[in-house]
Amino acid sequence: MKKLLKAKLILVMSALLFVPSCSGDFLERPPEDSYSVADFYQTADQVQNSTNHLYSRPWFNFITNVAWCIGELSSGNGRTWDPRNADFTNFAITGQHNTLTQSWESLYAVVAQSNTLINTLPEAVSGDVPQEVTNNALGEARFIRATAYFYLVRIFGSVPIIADNTEYVLEPVVPRNPIEDVYEFIKRDLEFAVANCYSKTRGSNFDLNAKVSSGSAKAMLAKIYLYEGDNAMAYQLSQEVIDSGEFKLYGGDAADGDPSGSYYDLFLTENDNNPESIFALQWGTSGQYSEGNGLQSLFAQSGVTGFSDGYSAIGPSIDLQESYEDKEQDLRYYATIMDPGSYYPDLNGGYTVSENVDHQGTNVGIKKYVVGNASTNGGGGEQSYPNNTYILRYGELLLINAEAALKGGGSVANGIESLNKVRRRAGLDNIANPTLDDVFHERRIELAFEFEFWYDIVRQGPEFALNYLANTERGTYNDDTTPPTVTSETYTPNAEDLLFPYPSNEIQNNPALSEPPVPYEFE
Amino acid sequence: MHYLKFYSIFSTKVLGKLFVLLVLCSASQAFAQKTVTGTVSDANGTPLLGVNVLIKGTNTGASTDFDGQYEIRAEDSNVIVFSYVGFEEKEELIGSRTQIDVTLTESAEGLDEVIVIGYGAQLKEDISGSVSTVNVEEIENIPQVGIDQLMQGRAAGVSITKNSGQPGSAVSVRIRGVNSITGSSEPLYIIDGVPISGDSRNIATSGRSIADGGLGEGSGSTGVSPLAALNPSDIASINILKDASATAIYGSRGSNGVVIITTKKGKKGEGKLSYSTYTGIQRPTNRIDVMNLPQYAELQNTIGEIYGLNEQIEFLNPSLLGSGTNWQRAIFDDALMTNHELSFSGGSEDINYFVSAGYVDQEGTVIGSSFDRITIRANVNAKIKDWLSAGISLTGSRTNEEITLNGSSNGIISLSLLNNPATAIYNPDGSFAGPTTPDEIAFGLRNPIAEALSIRNDLRRDRLLGNIYAEFKLHDNLTFRTEFGGDFGNNLSDRFQPTFSYGALDRGTNLLSIRRENNDFWILKNLLTYNNSFGDKHDLTVLLGQESQESSWQGVIAQDGDFVSNDVPILGTGNANDFTDQYQGSSALQSFFGRAIYSFDNRYNITASVRADGSSKFAEGNKWGYFPSVSASWRLSNEAFMEDFDAVQNIKLYGGYGEVGNQAIPNFAYGARLNTISTGTGTGFEFANFANPDLTWESSTQTNLGLDFGLFDSRLNTTIEVYNKISKDFLYQLAVTDFITGGNSPGAITAPWVNLGEMENQGIDVTINYKTIRDTDFTWSSTLTFSHYKNTVKELLGDLTINGDLSLNQSNQNITFTKVGQPIGLFYGYQVEGLFRSVDDINGAPVQFGRPFEDALFSTTWLGDIKYKDVNGDGVVNSDDRTVIGNPHPDFTYGFQNSFSYKDFDLSIFLQGSYGNDIFNAVNRTLTAANSYYVNQAPSVLDYWSVDNPNAGSPRLARNDTPNINISDRYIEDGSYLRIQNVTLGYNLPASTIDRIGLNKLKIYGSIQNLYTFTDYSGYDPEVGAYNQNALLLGVDNGRYPSPRTFTLGLNVEF
Repeated sequence: MKKLLKAKLILVMSALLFVPSCSGDFLERPPEDSYSVADFYQTADQVQNSTNHLYSRPWFNFITNVAWCIGELSSGNGRTWDPRNADFTNFAITGQHNTLTQSWESLYAVVAQSNTLINTLPEAVSGDVPQEVTNNALGEARFIRATAYFYLVRIFGSVPIIADNTEYVLEPVVPRNPIEDVYEFIKRDLEFAVANCYSKTRGSNFDLNAKVSSGSAKAMLAKIYLYEGDNAMAYQLSQEVIDSGEFKLYGGDAADGDPSGSYYDLFLTENDNNPESIFALQWGTSGQYSEGNGLQSLFAQSGVTGFSDGYSAIGPSIDLQESYEDKEQDLRYYATIMDPGSYYPDLNGGYTVSENVDHQGTNVGIKKYVVGNASTNGGGGEQSYPNNTYILRYGELLLINAEAALKGGGSVANGIESLNKVRRRAGLDNIANPTLDDVFHERRIELAFEFEFWYDIVRQGPEFALNYLANTERGTYNDDTTPPTVTSETYTPNAEDLLFPYPSNEIQNNPALSEPPVPYEFE
Repeated sequence: MHYLKFYSIFSTKVLGKLFVLLVLCSASQAFAQKTVTGTVSDANGTPLLGVNVLIKGTNTGASTDFDGQYEIRAEDSNVIVFSYVGFEEKEELIGSRTQIDVTLTESAEGLDEVIVIGYGAQLKEDISGSVSTVNVEEIENIPQVGIDQLMQGRAAGVSITKNSGQPGSAVSVRIRGVNSITGSSEPLYIIDGVPISGDSRNIATSGRSIADGGLGEGSGSTGVSPLAALNPSDIASINILKDASATAIYGSRGSNGVVIITTKKGKKGEGKLSYSTYTGIQRPTNRIDVMNLPQYAELQNTIGEIYGLNEQIEFLNPSLLGSGTNWQRAIFDDALMTNHELSFSGGSEDINYFVSAGYVDQEGTVIGSSFDRITIRANVNAKIKDWLSAGISLTGSRTNEEITLNGSSNGIISLSLLNNPATAIYNPDGSFAGPTTPDEIAFGLRNPIAEALSIRNDLRRDRLLGNIYAEFKLHDNLTFRTEFGGDFGNNLSDRFQPTFSYGALDRGTNLLSIRRENNDFWILKNLLTYNNSFGDKHDLTVLLGQESQESSWQGVIAQDGDFVSNDVPILGTGNANDFTDQYQGSSALQSFFGRAIYSFDNRYNITASVRADGSSKFAEGNKWGYFPSVSASWRLSNEAFMEDFDAVQNIKLYGGYGEVGNQAIPNFAYGARLNTISTGTGTGFEFANFANPDLTWESSTQTNLGLDFGLFDSRLNTTIEVYNKISKDFLYQLAVTDFITGGNSPGAITAPWVNLGEMENQGIDVTINYKTIRDTDFTWSSTLTFSHYKNTVKELLGDLTINGDLSLNQSNQNITFTKVGQPIGLFYGYQVEGLFRSVDDINGAPVQFGRPFEDALFSTTWLGDIKYKDVNGDGVVNSDDRTVIGNPHPDFTYGFQNSFSYKDFDLSIFLQGSYGNDIFNAVNRTLTAANSYYVNQAPSVLDYWSVDNPNAGSPRLARNDTPNINISDRYIEDGSYLRIQNVTLGYNLPASTIDRIGLNKLKIYGSIQNLYTFTDYSGYDPEVGAYNQNALLLGVDNGRYPSPRTFTLGLNVEF
């Protein structure tokens, strides 16, 4: 009996011995396929790369789906029948509009990613990493956060300023802050970036130009002052940027010009981060959804991209087509709009536009940001192409300089020269005594399909904007007649339409959005 | 990697003391005794557990173990009394024998059965928790490939809905209501001791559905069943533990209920060889009415004007047109289904075995979908020594699935409804046809046949699932069992999109995405069971146990494209940038538990258990959860004072309370991670999630009260149970506001998991069973199950409202909302008051969505538009006027099984249904949108409002920005249904005939599955389920793959 018991005991014990440990390790399962935040930021390389994502993915939905709806459709530069987007043309956007919601989400995703980096770096970075590396990364993050807020304040007006997301993660009710405070917040971020980002000179190694510099922040700050009506500061900062020699006008003929390029070349993928680029989004070549630039999918016609995208979702409006001074002379037309039958030697190794190209009833197509298939364009996949998206480039800075000068902010002669540099690059003649209307028009053409025109209209004030928007031709060509006649469409906005509504679900979750703005408490 | 450390849970010291105690007990026995052993079984040879084995005239006794075996010390002159509830008592004089095997015969009122409960088995009559048993005989010959589908309607309190008719797709199983919001509400399955999660979304492991095929989010209903690997024919019993006092022993993973599935064992006696087969035809049940070509042309002509588009010349005279392409007829087709199953089984004194092989091949009724499965199984149990037995159960399976995109606005089913009848399927040269004109390209839809037949989405799943154990009899009353189980899976998912061009549509680049995934799970259990009967009346079973389990997964996704042809797409041979992604992770649980079951005199039973679980999902300090339970039962009928009362029999009252937990959330939710992405400046490191270091166990408490009784000499048996289940601190990914997280944007920071709020499910489950006495040629038995639950959200952080969103027609729509005081996932939208039919209707009416009342084709509100109700009475209709418009929760669900037999014939009819639930018919919304060009619609749209048709049934035609299609009660339908789920007629060849040809049994049968559905629902199928098992999207029909009607003929042979 005892012997048997002993034998059993030995068996039981040996069975029990196979029980794995319950010591801490067995129940400790840190991520195996990604970094834990606590373990990152230990080397200078890691800190340098910590801002990479701020130039791409969080912006994806805004750029791909919304920026052009606001910038081009609402402004009347473009038109569409597209189910999701016609509301932007008709001023029929409500808080339930999914596309609009995407801009809110996407821009706040940029804010969230920037904030988290801004708040994590000072604590997490290892002491071995040089301070200036960390400061530069912080500067980049604050620059990008400022840019996101700049879009938010222009689209929605008063919005909640979030500087540290973790404070609000469990707190659903957050007040919105006044427009002036949002601008103040933006300026403080940009001033930090001016002080902490590296100074650069944009050279021929384009890769080194990819990230923003102290000069980029100064340029963005000039634009902010222009929006605030502080023309002196706008002029001063833009002039400092011009004088610094950091950036070049690609194809410009003056001292700050780079004769190796042209306006058309600005939009070729191979010229990403050319010396004109002040801040551009940096899309990857992986071809994965949201890691690349999706604009081409919507702007191109079927067959251009090599994939089944190419939705012709927007067409250049008749109004825009007719506002070019001279389609033949202005080099920007060919780089922006595809006429039937025109030939693009670089696109897909040679592309002739179909004779019946007809985006949304406009009888033309779009060229800007249409870059062709993966094999001729350096990779990418459906709805995910590697070409940069400009947020601010030197051409626009020159126009900021011109506008600020003409508004009394500084040397008018310098301002006129800035405007004419842009015109000469486009193949147009100088204007000896330009007016503010000329600058407004120049911005429209120079920046067409770069999503600025709506904000340019709205910042002229409601009186101008409502009148201008109501008289923009948004109709189609009727091809049953020869030559085609215009089937006219115009839409009259009201004052509320100049800002877009908050997403309904956000008001539902955060009723404070319906309350008056509360001043932001700056530190 | 985690290295294994060796250690023992019971220190030698404790174990030593335990043994000393036991030895002392045995020492009191007289020395002239010998050991008598044996097996007690019923007339069928099935071993009986817990039989009282008593030396007559003494208090010495034992009881049989799970294999019906006992061991007792006695003298030659002793008489052993074997007693077992429901069986005739039997006495045996020992004499010179040392082994006495006994067969007990059922007593007249023999109703008793052994029920498998967690980590053991118990007599049904003793059970004090809530356990439902699915009668396996009733589901034997039903042509369903998945065991989850077979349970439908068979057990009260268990609601099962098929989410899709796609072969092999996931079902949603809800035991007593919905328990979790974003977590899984699927139960835990224990298959021969190995736990398997029912969650097809894999929330707690890799976070990736097995079959997303690279389609990503919003790609429709793609869940595949985690149980598809199991062959239903191998199953011996299914027991469903519903209340917390029953599931608490599964602690950490028991909050959604537990389904215990045991597979077949060999029985003692001559070996048996069985073969069964069936062949079936599945036929699409119904089609949805859409316009034919002349109707479509008429619609196009009018919509074209509103859009200001050029006319389509061919439509100028619609009456001259033929009927056009019937897309539905083209995508739905009869489909074959065959099944073969071969098994060998048998057993001797010391060993039993069951070996089987099965094959099923099921085509889908939607072209391009199919499922096949090969399974093999081996179950062997052996008694090696009189103190040691061991066994193994092992199943290997391979399933192959061809998956179509369905349940999505751009899924094949939706495309077939919406594609215009003017487009042909094929060109005369046999190539796929497609749009040609610029307008058609801009507005037209893709050719669903081309999509179904050219895009390949294959999934192969290999799985090895098994369990090996050794059981030591340490003493007459003490056994130690150690068990090692594993579930090892390997999934191969291949998706290839070829180049194609049809019409003017052209896709010049092909793309191959493949995914290779391994899932490993192992579990090690150590169980010590003490069982003893004292005197005549006391019976005690004590269980102590320890369990360790680990789940790990790893996968690789790779893509290549731009192959020179579509013929041999192989990674590395294409010109596109290669893309690869790898993921891996693991989670672990460590548990200790104990349970005591004490019963007194077959009258009182009390069970108490406690379990402690440590989980890797939580941070240090929050890892451990403790889950106690207690329950009791009182068998009123066995009381002396009830002796003379025989109008009602077998009265049992029982009740219990227990707590269980849930930790099925992603790994490392308590910490913050970085996602890596590809950017133009190198690898980017995105913040992936907000951390919550305070995260801890979700717990669910449940109170259950039950009553069993029989009437008419126990021919009619009724079980009534009521319960109240409260989920506390339920785990939820709290997305408070989009401006904190970035919402659904790429690059958003995922909201933190939190312990949020409280939810209650109250309900009643009733089972009524009637059977005739089996002594005539005719027998009849019926089982009616009835379940009702009421779900209420009791508490959410602050005044939080949780929205259930779904992408419909490329636009994210808020379809449900969840608020405190209401059930989860109520449909949310506008109320329709009717149409604006006259200027009088417009005068004074609230402005709708800021659109002026103006006679224009678009951007205004005008006659023929839908008039929405100003619910809050503020004089305008806007998003504040959304309100509750429907409830997806049924008032009750029911199942009704009827079995008849007459001589050699048997007939079974099974009905099942649901009453009082609403469905959001998203398909109908698209089909009646009346706002797009080149898209087909329901014929009812032609009755649109116009000046000439002021009494129209449908709104005016519009551009696509019309508010007429806002989410409203227009799309809410009653989803009640009664379905004749199965009718089977079988014939057993008489014994005299088959004896001559050397057979034991020969049965032929015919059956019809899904024979008919009584419903008012206008979609394909009212059984909609939870969209991708998401509790917030119950009852949302977005082009669900309809379940077919299946006619089968089958044959069962036994040698």
